[in-house]
Amino acid sequence: MRYDPEVIRSLVHRDHVHRSLYLDPEVFDLEMERIFGRTWVYVGHDSLVPKPGDYITVRVGKQPLVMSRHTDGQVYVIFNSCGHRGAIVCNDERGHAGIFRCCYHGWTFKTNGDLDAIAMRRGYGKDFDVNDRALGMGRVPRMENYRGFIFASLSPKGPSLEEHLGTAKDSIDELVDRAPDGEIDLSAGVHKYMFRGNWKLQLENTVDMYHVPFSHESSVSRSGRQFSRGAGQSAGSAISDRGSAAQRWEQRVAWGSRANGHSYAGHQPVAEELPDTPTFKAYFSALEQRHGRDRALEIIRPKRHNTAFYPNMTLQALNQHVRVIVPVAVDRTEVQVYPVRFKGAPKEMNDSFVRHLNLTHSAASLIQTDDLECFRRCQSGLGARGSEWVWFARGVDTDKEDERGDYLNNGTVEVQQRAQYAAWLRLMSAEG
Amino acid sequence: MQLQSAEATAGDVGDRRAIEDFLVYEARLLDDRQFEEWRDLFTDDGHYWVPLAPGQTDPEGEPSLFYDDKTIMATRFERLRHPNIHSQSPHHRTCHIIGSVTVDEVDASKAEVTVSSNMMMTDFRMKVQRLFSGRVMHRLRRVGTGYKIVLKRVELINCDDVFELIAVPF
Repeated sequence: MRYDPEVIRSLVHRDHVHRSLYLDPEVFDLEMERIFGRTWVYVGHDSLVPKPGDYITVRVGKQPLVMSRHTDGQVYVIFNSCGHRGAIVCNDERGHAGIFRCCYHGWTFKTNGDLDAIAMRRGYGKDFDVNDRALGMGRVPRMENYRGFIFASLSPKGPSLEEHLGTAKDSIDELVDRAPDGEIDLSAGVHKYMFRGNWKLQLENTVDMYHVPFSHESSVSRSGRQFSRGAGQSAGSAISDRGSAAQRWEQRVAWGSRANGHSYAGHQPVAEELPDTPTFKAYFSALEQRHGRDRALEIIRPKRHNTAFYPNMTLQALNQHVRVIVPVAVDRTEVQVYPVRFKGAPKEMNDSFVRHLNLTHSAASLIQTDDLECFRRCQSGLGARGSEWVWFARGVDTDKEDERGDYLNNGTVEVQQRAQYAAWLRLMSAEG
Repeated sequence: MQLQSAEATAGDVGDRRAIEDFLVYEARLLDDRQFEEWRDLFTDDGHYWVPLAPGQTDPEGEPSLFYDDKTIMATRFERLRHPNIHSQSPHHRTCHIIGSVTVDEVDASKAEVTVSSNMMMTDFRMKVQRLFSGRVMHRLRRVGTGYKIVLKRVELINCDDVFELIAVPF
């Protein structure tokens, strides 16, 4: 085999990785097997399947899956394939069914994937065991629900979800705690976009604070401020590679877990003053009632701006959304962006989140389109023979280690990407 | 032939010929990249809406591909004119075809008319040509001797598809 562990190790160094990681279909196939086929991957949010019989269909690596809510009230992640001849059973992206029925020979399955009934049963012999689990749609070996976020592992062994998430889990808490009812809702709808590039380009980008003044130059006015991203704001963040804006930019915390590949970019210091609008006051008072003033003040000032959960899900605190990265081929990636609504928050506030996300992250948005163009150009340019490497060296000499041995730094460094490739190397070079 | 502009004269508010001319003129502004003039066709409270789900009725609480008021349009077009907008260097070229126009509703009291049409827009950039098509609903208000757009809603037949980047309105 071409990519034995020794070859894999030669492709990833502390601050640079080999371009074949983005270009070679064989590497892509191995990633689907060794990364998406082993580690914990995000499948979906339980607010997408609120009632028994609700389901969504997704793809994790090369596996077609169904995430459904069964009659017992639990969420199940099952393979979207008929136990008989293998056809896709659930054909819609999202739906509701009392029972799943295969189109081909009419076999039916319960919403937890177990075989329900075989059509024209009498044609099968006495020894044919309809209770054989292998005739069902099959469940993924492991699945866990953390505060509504459903993760699955296609491998029966490996670290628990809790071990896998580590302190990155706090980013989920930060987001969910901002909902006065302590729950978020992803069911408003979804933005879907595609680019002709490798999936890792998107994952690197979500926690990249270095690109902002350049890639998004066209969204920054002459005064160095971005357009308003919230109701009642006259302008957005100050973004510049010069002067005081750059200094604030450099104060952000930058963190990455070498072991698990998760990472985040911290927030810029947030203004002390609270918005003076009736909607915000109603929201804050709901939070205050649940948590008390001190904790409520803490909650509305999230510390983490962007968090990337390796390998396929990211959260953003400003313009809050959950993003899912779906690798399609070595040079093709689809991305889903779900607006996050806070349960218990005023409707006008949730509506305003949804509206501003149209502006930043739809396929016709003013922000995301800049990155899509950069991804396309990366994929087109990476094949050039001028260099064999892609560099993530920014700040490598100032990386510190936190008490868990994870990378810690500040500002526009590339520590997040270094963590992602440390995890890539660990997963890709591990045996079995 | 001289295209009739928004200022063109028309008979009654539901004058189909005048409306068709207006729709053709509106689409031509987009193809000619006269985005600011296109924005001027909207009333001050006007909206341009491209839903993400078939039959979507709620533009406020559900995500959309576009849901622009005139402030957002101004920001959008300012960006399209920025010298360093990488995703539009080079920019998309577009070609609209408008057809099957029907006048669905005339509200004489408000001087408003609701119009349906079918739209096809081809766009091209960097060796990729795409075809978008869908049903368009215009709510037009008679202002002076011309029309202004209160709402333009474009429901693409593939509105829930996965899209590569989109720059120019449909």
